[in-house]
Amino acid sequence: MSDVVLTMTDVEAGYGGGLVLQGLSLELERGTITCIVGPNGAGKSTVLRVISGLLKPNTGSVVLGGQPIGGLPPAAILKAGVAQVPQNRALFDGMSVHENVLMGGYLIRRQRSLLHERLEMVGDLIPIVRERAHDKAGNLSGGQRRMVEIGRALMLDPSVILMDEPSLGLDPKSVAKVAELIREVASTGRTVLLVEQNVRLGMNLATHGVVMEQGTVRLSGEAAGIADNPEIATMYLGKAGG
Amino acid sequence: MEIVQVLAFGLLLGGVYALLASGVTLIFGVLDVVNVAQGAFLVFSALFTWQIWDAFGVEPLLLIPVMGFLMGVLGWGIYRGMVMRVAPQGPGMTVLLMFGVALTLEGILNLIFGNKFKSVTPPYFTESFTIGQLVIPLPQLISGVLGFLILGGIYAYLRLSWAGRALRASAQNKDGAALVGISSVKSASFAFAIGAATAGVGGVLLSIMYPIYPATQYDWIARLLGIVVLGGFGSIPGAVIGSLILGMTEAFANTYLPQWSSLFFYGTILLILLFRPHGLMGAKTREDVA
Repeated sequence: MSDVVLTMTDVEAGYGGGLVLQGLSLELERGTITCIVGPNGAGKSTVLRVISGLLKPNTGSVVLGGQPIGGLPPAAILKAGVAQVPQNRALFDGMSVHENVLMGGYLIRRQRSLLHERLEMVGDLIPIVRERAHDKAGNLSGGQRRMVEIGRALMLDPSVILMDEPSLGLDPKSVAKVAELIREVASTGRTVLLVEQNVRLGMNLATHGVVMEQGTVRLSGEAAGIADNPEIATMYLGKAGG
Repeated sequence: MEIVQVLAFGLLLGGVYALLASGVTLIFGVLDVVNVAQGAFLVFSALFTWQIWDAFGVEPLLLIPVMGFLMGVLGWGIYRGMVMRVAPQGPGMTVLLMFGVALTLEGILNLIFGNKFKSVTPPYFTESFTIGQLVIPLPQLISGVLGFLILGGIYAYLRLSWAGRALRASAQNKDGAALVGISSVKSASFAFAIGAATAGVGGVLLSIMYPIYPATQYDWIARLLGIVVLGGFGSIPGAVIGSLILGMTEAFANTYLPQWSSLFFYGTILLILLFRPHGLMGAKTREDVA
């Protein structure tokens, strides 16, 4: 039995008249961390927007666990099991850390015991959610914010988590903590798809890598193999080409 | 003793202003729409309260939930039918739209009620509440206390209910709200409905305090926008503080320099804005609705 959780097949999507994704196909396996790398404008973040429903694909299919989700509204895709941690500040700064995480369970708000169970699960996994529960989210550091954002995304127990530039703007210590948390999240069977400008970090963190160019997948496979590819190493990792 | 009397008047007036201004600031916080029709909503509610009281002798305060609900439904309809379609064109267009709504409502009210003052005068209209030397007219006392209580209820609702949290989330971060599955359309409709409902409730309270006629909407919207600008657009705590400051200012001016009352009201706003251009709570906590 295939362990593929999410499949994108021949997806074309874009903004206005222009196509950013031009026949992109991609498969994500359960419990893996896949990192998308590529030059600016390759369409990395657009892949995340199409999967999360923020952008409708013009053609092609997006299938999650056997169910087509391409073109569904964001809330329906969220309910189906895809959560997103965006690049920009996404917390509610005027609310407490506890309230922010609680709001992650907005779609299961009427299932009180489940909501409580998920709060406990997130608190166990991310201690800062308990330690800073009553602090305003606006007072958190960049790394702490990212952890709370991940905690909030976990409230619906998603099967796939999309992360856009999780290391952006963080100091090295925070980057290490966030990376550790991402590994921990994946170890529970969840699939992580991330876009990362810091290619070295992304490939170290990921189990699988995808190299995108001009809206299509140029290369994909295990992260170690991608990182060892001489051309990729030269272009993105600053190693001398072979 | 006179100063205590003036302070009490100012506090009670501030309570009514706070309730009225909270609707404007809530709508702005969630939708980025300056609802310049709030004064017309207010007068609409006050005149229909007068009509029901005049025709059936119904105690006006019993109409608070009725007018709140009806104006809430009207607000919801105006948002779904008009504002939602115009909003993508930008805030300037929504201001023009709401100005059009205000003029239309005023026209309808002129047709129904004529351009004459209407006063609701229940039996307690001329009665006063007395403690020692402190004498407060009962309509002012009732309106001020109810203003605070209803605003407190709205505040608690926004803080403790899921619908309220969703509104605050939308006001603070629209993208973040969408990411957790909050419908922006539902939140916006709900915010507009609550904002209009505060005008419905406020209209009943005003009807027992002041004579009303359709064109008084201009006076009220000017005051409400002044309060909201002073407090910081989008901040309910700011609107409450702004209301209390201006309520006190007006009470002092009415007592000692009545002919300068309006000048003091708007002069205070100007003076504070010179030092805090974003309003009292605008710069740091504009998104901190509730």
